[in-house]
Amino acid sequence: MLAGQRRLRLYVTIGQRLLRDSLLFQILLHDDVELVGESETGVDTLNRLHTTRPGVLLIEENLQDNDGLTIAEHALTLNPALSVLLISDTPVSTGRMAIYLEAGIKAVVSKHQPIQELIKTLFYIRGGQVYVGNWQHKPAAGALGAFEALSGREREVAQLMARRTPVRDIAGQLGVSCKTVHSYKDRIFVKMGFERLPELILFMQRHQHGAAE
Amino acid sequence: MAINGAAEVILRYDDEHDREYFEALFGNDFTIQSFTSDQPARDHLCLSTKPPAAIVLIPDRPDGHLQSPLLAEARDHHPGVLKILMGDAISLNLLVTLLDDQLIDRCFEQPVNADMVRSHVLTAALTRGEASPSPVPEQAGAGARPAILIVDDEPTATRYLARQLERMQNQFRVLCASSAEEALETLRNANGDVAVVMTDQRMPGMHGKELLDELRQSYPAIVRILTSAWGEVDVALDAVNEGRIFRYQKKPWNAGELLALFRKALARHRALVSARNSSLSQAEQQFAELRQQRHARLLEHLSEPVDRLAGAQVTADFLDSLATIRTLPALPSHLRASRETPLEHELVRDFGDLVRRQLDALERSPEAAPLNRSMFDLAMANASEASTRSAADQTPLSALCQSLTILLTASGLNHSHLNIEQDDTSLGVTPASALHMYSHLLAPITRLSRPLLEQQTALLLLHVTARLLGGGIDVAGGDQSLRLSLRLPAAPEPEF
Repeated sequence: MLAGQRRLRLYVTIGQRLLRDSLLFQILLHDDVELVGESETGVDTLNRLHTTRPGVLLIEENLQDNDGLTIAEHALTLNPALSVLLISDTPVSTGRMAIYLEAGIKAVVSKHQPIQELIKTLFYIRGGQVYVGNWQHKPAAGALGAFEALSGREREVAQLMARRTPVRDIAGQLGVSCKTVHSYKDRIFVKMGFERLPELILFMQRHQHGAAE
Repeated sequence: MAINGAAEVILRYDDEHDREYFEALFGNDFTIQSFTSDQPARDHLCLSTKPPAAIVLIPDRPDGHLQSPLLAEARDHHPGVLKILMGDAISLNLLVTLLDDQLIDRCFEQPVNADMVRSHVLTAALTRGEASPSPVPEQAGAGARPAILIVDDEPTATRYLARQLERMQNQFRVLCASSAEEALETLRNANGDVAVVMTDQRMPGMHGKELLDELRQSYPAIVRILTSAWGEVDVALDAVNEGRIFRYQKKPWNAGELLALFRKALARHRALVSARNSSLSQAEQQFAELRQQRHARLLEHLSEPVDRLAGAQVTADFLDSLATIRTLPALPSHLRASRETPLEHELVRDFGDLVRRQLDALERSPEAAPLNRSMFDLAMANASEASTRSAADQTPLSALCQSLTILLTASGLNHSHLNIEQDDTSLGVTPASALHMYSHLLAPITRLSRPLLEQQTALLLLHVTARLLGGGIDVAGGDQSLRLSLRLPAAPEPEF
């Protein structure tokens, strides 16, 4: 992050509480994000835009009361400096993506993409940049490739961590110091592109059940 | 224009390793045409029927490309093609020079952030056609003299420079601000006279780069110049890539140099304003035609079923009432949606289907008993409870109440926001405040959404059911809103 960059003032408009909470739990792990408001409906969002002054609006395209894209267009008229991230129900075609960009939307993430993609996108657009990810291609190898590229020892540590084995016990089992386990852990996270333990746990459990990517 | 298949990139490289590196990063994202010298790359550019999305230059020595015929060709004849430089260590002087000559649009230091590069190229491919505007000659006496705003936290230096510049010419005024916050305040009060902003990077509070980011979004026609005494390459690169600055001006300033720079910046500003105005007025004009066609097709498809049931002119009245509701102006995105997607066809078809289903449910319904206030209240309460529109037969009264509920909900209102007045012969129903209508059937839209179709059907059904009940509806459009009032024949409440 650039020095002096202000906090990311986030407004979230998502109809369903479960989805909204799930996203917010992940997003708010990043401490330079401040949630300045949230709504279930588009009309409430527009009513509260002026007082909450968000920098980024995360809004679902399919809302109950009004079309999310139409609401976003009105929000941009009220505050042109707002960065809008639209969440679409379905993967976006090239033609649609061009329309969104022309409408002033900074990025679109579909509900079929991983949460990491949404968070990455959120940070890229915070200063008003457009961000177009590789939204049509699957990443070449992704986490599975990265996992297979880990060393034998790293994989062993990853498996133990994913079983929530305490660091001290991992050290004991492998006959190494706690410090060494911590440095394995750091390397695993860097190589896998993870930031937190739950990501590793989720990946390992999917992987074990043959469901990973 | 939409891209078909992968975006094409012309790669001009010197070192085989650089080509491998680039292909490893982006081989999946782009179709890459690689060249080790300028001439064949230039020939490829000139001969291709569809220009590439971008030209990427990864040279051994970036400063050897100040005269690049490839980049010059792209600049002069293919303004939509993005020109990207990647290098190990980009010097500030090189960056300033390349920017002055408009030879590059983006510049990245190795190792590059692949996400960023991909995003810039794909965006260029997707928004191609919004080519950079061509210069517009200055029109004598057109409006007030434009202003240049200089933002720097050393007010003595700025004021001295401003006085010098004012003495040297009478083409523009010079305004000063000592912080980014003050600059934004000045802009809010300047009535759109500010054409160019030159800001220092290092200031207390908001930095120059952040100010430029804000300007790019809030005042896109203002030409942005960053200035600094510090020579921070990373800040300059960010300003080029993200802030899309016009120039990077090194300190100390020289009034003569700045005068030349500001004249170029003013020309750029005029070009931006004129391109924006003509694109907006073109979009409005072209949408007006689309609107007429849509109006005609809706009338043609709906008149028969609607007017047969509810009486002559109901469809036309409905469409007339929509036309009074002002929505946002048409943008190129709306035109693209209307022309390049099946939107126009689906709008008439889906709306027609929805309306016919509603009308079918109405037709078989029995005559309503004479209306009074408590009956109306009861029907409204039932309508609010019915979470989804039932397919079962509906009386005109229940359909009317359901339609009202849909429109109230879309405005964040409910039953309690209705003013209901009864006299001896009629019942007046009016929402206490104007209802929001952010979009409608005759407005520029980019897609059909369920809420849009539902609201539009509800408004039409209000026209239909009010007629069926022997009453009428008044609709007065406002800015993305409408005021409506219903008047229905009614009998006094029975006395017990």
